[in-house]
Amino acid sequence: MGEKKGNMASAAGMTASWIAYAAILIVGLLSLFSLYMGFINYAENVDIAIIYIFIGAAGFAAIGYMLLRGKPNVAKQEPLDVKKVEVYTTLECPKCQQKRVRDFKRGDFVFKDDEPCTRCDGMMMITKIARKKEEEKKKEELSWL
Amino acid sequence: MVFLFGPVIQAQETDLNVILQMIYSFAFIIYLFYAQKIQTFQMLRQIEVTLRKIKNLKEEARNQTIKTLVEIGKPSGDIAPRVDRFMDFFGIGLENMDPAGIVDKMDHFLKTSKHIYEAEVRVLAPNATPTERNNLENLIEVSQALNIYYKVIRHFYLLGKKTMNIYIIMQINMILPQLIQMVEAYSSGIQAFQEGMPIGDGVGAIVAAKLMHGYPQRDIAEEIVAAEVPYEGRTLIVFKAKGPGGSVGNPDEGLINILNERKGKVKIIITVDAAGKLEGEPVGQVSEGIGAAIGGSGKEKFKMEEVTNKYKIPMHAIAIKQGMEHVVAPLVEPLFDATDKAVESVKRIVMEYTEPGDTVVVAGIGNTMGVGQ
Repeated sequence: MGEKKGNMASAAGMTASWIAYAAILIVGLLSLFSLYMGFINYAENVDIAIIYIFIGAAGFAAIGYMLLRGKPNVAKQEPLDVKKVEVYTTLECPKCQQKRVRDFKRGDFVFKDDEPCTRCDGMMMITKIARKKEEEKKKEELSWL
Repeated sequence: MVFLFGPVIQAQETDLNVILQMIYSFAFIIYLFYAQKIQTFQMLRQIEVTLRKIKNLKEEARNQTIKTLVEIGKPSGDIAPRVDRFMDFFGIGLENMDPAGIVDKMDHFLKTSKHIYEAEVRVLAPNATPTERNNLENLIEVSQALNIYYKVIRHFYLLGKKTMNIYIIMQINMILPQLIQMVEAYSSGIQAFQEGMPIGDGVGAIVAAKLMHGYPQRDIAEEIVAAEVPYEGRTLIVFKAKGPGGSVGNPDEGLINILNERKGKVKIIITVDAAGKLEGEPVGQVSEGIGAAIGGSGKEKFKMEEVTNKYKIPMHAIAIKQGMEHVVAPLVEPLFDATDKAVESVKRIVMEYTEPGDTVVVAGIGNTMGVGQ
């Protein structure tokens, strides 16, 4: 799968990303140089030094923006994949109300007479099939809604 | 910025200042003319990243489908080419230039489609039971849906790249979050259809199953099973798709047959189905209303409305709210618990709107996979 992923990158896409990286590198070097000039000029000419420092800082801000903006929001999300979730089956004995919970297995369905009860001579019936509770997400400040 | 610092730079006429001023002017001009181009590239990249993910997903879905078909159906020979061919299976939409009679045409169209899927799965999985075959049909449909999403997004991506038309690129870029949501929703159904687990759409069927369990049942239409349930002096005729295989049946035909059998002597009809929730609404909220609670192509809804209008029977609706991500995914606990609340709602409506001796029809709508009766 990884190989296929690599193959998928089109030549144009690769070129675009290399241009972006090259631009970031050039802007970075220029900004670094500008900051350097700002610091060495600070003692002699404060006005010029401030301009250099401003240009250097602006350059780094631009790099930050390019890196953050360049990464699409969709890319920041969790990777898309076929998710497997844990599903459990609840069995109940209609005679003695004995309850048992186990992992879901293929062939289970709600209201299926599944297995003999371990406490009495009745048959345990599947009464519930549901996905296991996921960890509670952090409560957002949206309680007023 | 150039205006702000211009006087200072000019005051210090050095070569470096001139160069910096030129760079800034140049950057400004570049941005002036190429801003849209830069934006286009950014959007294309976003689409490309998503497209790669969706490609992986649809390939995974295809592989899982083949694996499950082999595991359950035990076919002889390699089924991959046949599955790949069926992935591209399409249905040509009905011509609606003259819409009169389109519902019957839709009925015929859907039955043909169902027949094709059944025949295909019978060949792909010759040793599967009827229940398993229903689940496998659904699994193939999920893989097909993911394949279609991939192909459509790829189409717009390549078209946008070819023409560099920002409006083509923009329209797909703007709906990317929704597309991802839909793709994720479909992908979460793969596990459910592989294993035959109840899904979010099956809540209506679970409600009906809870009401009719333990009472004599009979087939009343294609893949529809019904039972007469006595309740507080009333007779509830409860029907649902025949489980536990993945099927929605033909509830419209079920209702028509019941009403014709009873010559329309039914006090009220209650339909129970899953419904899309709005952002902010809790999963598993049970809401009550009127009308036919049923989704699908619209054919079923039309026929149900037609027959209830013919006999002038009020139709109540109970909706169990859920997000798009729950519809084909394995059932979450709040949804299963909501079925108990929906059963209570059905009973309350029966008590409030009918008298002893009345007959009430309760229709549990939805995919009955993993739900018996």
